[in-house]
Amino acid sequence: MTLTDIPTSSSGARGPAAPYDELIEAQRVHGSLYTSPAIFADELEQIWYRTWVYVGHVSEIAEPNDYVRKNIGPQDVIMTRSADGEVHLLLNRCAHRGNLVCEADAGNSSSFRCPYHGWTYRNTGDMLGYPFHGGYGGRGKLDLGLGRVPRVGIYQGFVFGSFAPDGPTLEEHLGEAKGEIDRLVRLSPEGEVEITAGFLKHKARANWKLLAENETDGYHPQFVHASIFSVAQSGIGALYGEKSTAVTRALGNGHSENDLRPEFRRIGAPLGWFGTTEEKVPEYSAAMRARYGDAAEEILIEGAPHVMIFPNLFIAEIQMFTIQPLAANLTVQHVTAVQFKGAPEMNKRMLQQCIGSVGPAGMLLADDTEMYERNQAGVAELRPEWLDVRRGVHREEIDERGLTVGGATDETGMRGFWKHYKHLMTEGRAQ
Amino acid sequence: MTAAATAIPTDAEPTQLDVRDVEQFLYREARFADEHRYDDWEALWTQDGLYWVPANDDDADRMAKMSIIHDNRSRIATRIRQFQTGRRHSQVPHSRLRRVVSNVEILGNAENGDLEVGANFVLVESRERSNELWAGRYTYRLRVVDGAIAMSYKKVALVDNARAIATLSFLI
Amino acid sequence: MYIRPDIVGNEFAEVSLTIDEEANSRRLRLEDLKTGKVRYLDALELETLVWLPEGNLAKLLDPSADRWREEDA
Ligand code: FES
Ligand SMILES: [Fe+2]
Repeated sequence: MTLTDIPTSSSGARGPAAPYDELIEAQRVHGSLYTSPAIFADELEQIWYRTWVYVGHVSEIAEPNDYVRKNIGPQDVIMTRSADGEVHLLLNRCAHRGNLVCEADAGNSSSFRCPYHGWTYRNTGDMLGYPFHGGYGGRGKLDLGLGRVPRVGIYQGFVFGSFAPDGPTLEEHLGEAKGEIDRLVRLSPEGEVEITAGFLKHKARANWKLLAENETDGYHPQFVHASIFSVAQSGIGALYGEKSTAVTRALGNGHSENDLRPEFRRIGAPLGWFGTTEEKVPEYSAAMRARYGDAAEEILIEGAPHVMIFPNLFIAEIQMFTIQPLAANLTVQHVTAVQFKGAPEMNKRMLQQCIGSVGPAGMLLADDTEMYERNQAGVAELRPEWLDVRRGVHREEIDERGLTVGGATDETGMRGFWKHYKHLMTEGRAQ
Repeated sequence: MTAAATAIPTDAEPTQLDVRDVEQFLYREARFADEHRYDDWEALWTQDGLYWVPANDDDADRMAKMSIIHDNRSRIATRIRQFQTGRRHSQVPHSRLRRVVSNVEILGNAENGDLEVGANFVLVESRERSNELWAGRYTYRLRVVDGAIAMSYKKVALVDNARAIATLSFLI
Repeated sequence: MYIRPDIVGNEFAEVSLTIDEEANSRRLRLEDLKTGKVRYLDALELETLVWLPEGNLAKLLDPSADRWREEDA
């Protein structure tokens, strides 16, 4: 099959859009993977509308009947909390003629009324009723409701959805990445993170995989971010140098991390990972030591994870990104500051530091995004066709958890990403 | 930094300025930003300057919510120095920029006596990636420092600040 | 006699009404001051109340409609 030979059957069972076995090799991947609309359509079916995708956080719908508008790729998803406390993921599409039911980004309502003809739904997705019921032969005659994301999974307050009615559980999907989420939430003196600062939405005219691969690429910071490292006297650059003891780890299922703990342990300073000291945040430090006792020292030294959870959740220490693919060459990054429950002193600092770094004007992310867009333009050129992902392959090791580990600047995370991607797009396809 | 910065006024003689002088200041500020004249632009700030581009809500709580830009005076300086490294990739090469500032209106005095001025703007940014159209509302606070107008506050309420927007790495 | 401005009360019942800002949009918070029971009403529910015919509301006022029923006792 060629790339232009797009299968047209409408079910998820259509054949591969491309010969992925040939396009994805162990040490290089083909440029068409980033540019082909047919491959993008195939990815929506095989990845975004099937595997577990991060949608939102329970703290965004803290109260009964709260809702927020979220997304799974191009799908407009309403995340609701019904009166009984359950979390639901509903599709923003009226069962009558398909109008959008919700227009606001967030609100509190036990039910949704479509503005077009007034059909009304519970926030569980169930139909409540429709106006002028005589036209349907009376009340309660229609067995219709809002579309649902069939599986909803929650881990440590992080809400994921899967369009596949069955398949691996969320915990199976997260696998080794669970520990990284655990490492984030334990930095709260109450063991919970809160997503309350709102999101910046940053458009990148680039394929989503360029973003996903870059998130744990330890090779680029010294180049892309040299400008800010030099003027802000940042220590981050050194973490991603050839001499760094930090490692890149493929966590399985496409997840990966830059594990900076070896560097933070070497430095041995509580809160050094955040560029501060306990004296500067005395209430937070006291609360952490009160909660965790002797373990607090290690928790405060090791800091927050830098982990990419396949396919769309990136936690970069104090920042949380989600990746929303909209076309082969268009992606939106949603980003916010992580906030720790019970840590107002720390939260203010994290928010302001995050604002300086991320988003359309961020002193880091504006430059990453410039690279994504130039990269997208570059991969459209015809030669040499391939992107190289071999860096560090000769010095990889398997650690005691059985995971592949490379150096701080190695492309171990990308290779892990592609291994899982290839599986989902070939032998692991939905039948 | 040059001329603009000295003391923050304490007991607030409310700043009074002629609208023509205000306009001249705004146009100059816009031209320095359009032409990437970073030092000249930075010199327009007072020492307590605040450069703010809110997100999602023009009146968001800037201490609790994400902003597109939320620079105090020291972060303004960092932003400028980042440009000056010549390796701020999203501005190498510079975006070509031209903005129109209009509907200039003196709104009154802020609590600290600074003169508050509103204006609308439309800006075209041209880069290899695309042309982007930016528009919104500026709110400035102005005061006279050493005989020259300086700004202590510039807020940029983009009309599309709740939507996904492109990289905005120039001075808006 | 001073009566709190957020209270609607008489010899039969006493309910406080406040606008609650804690959720993702405004709600009306109602508290039955005799029992402390709290309920929130969102905009669509309030609009529905406005349109409720007298008869339907009267049905709900039947003391055994939703409260004081043998099966709960
Ligand atoms: S489309 Fe929603 S009620 Fe008609
Ligand atoms: Fe980066």
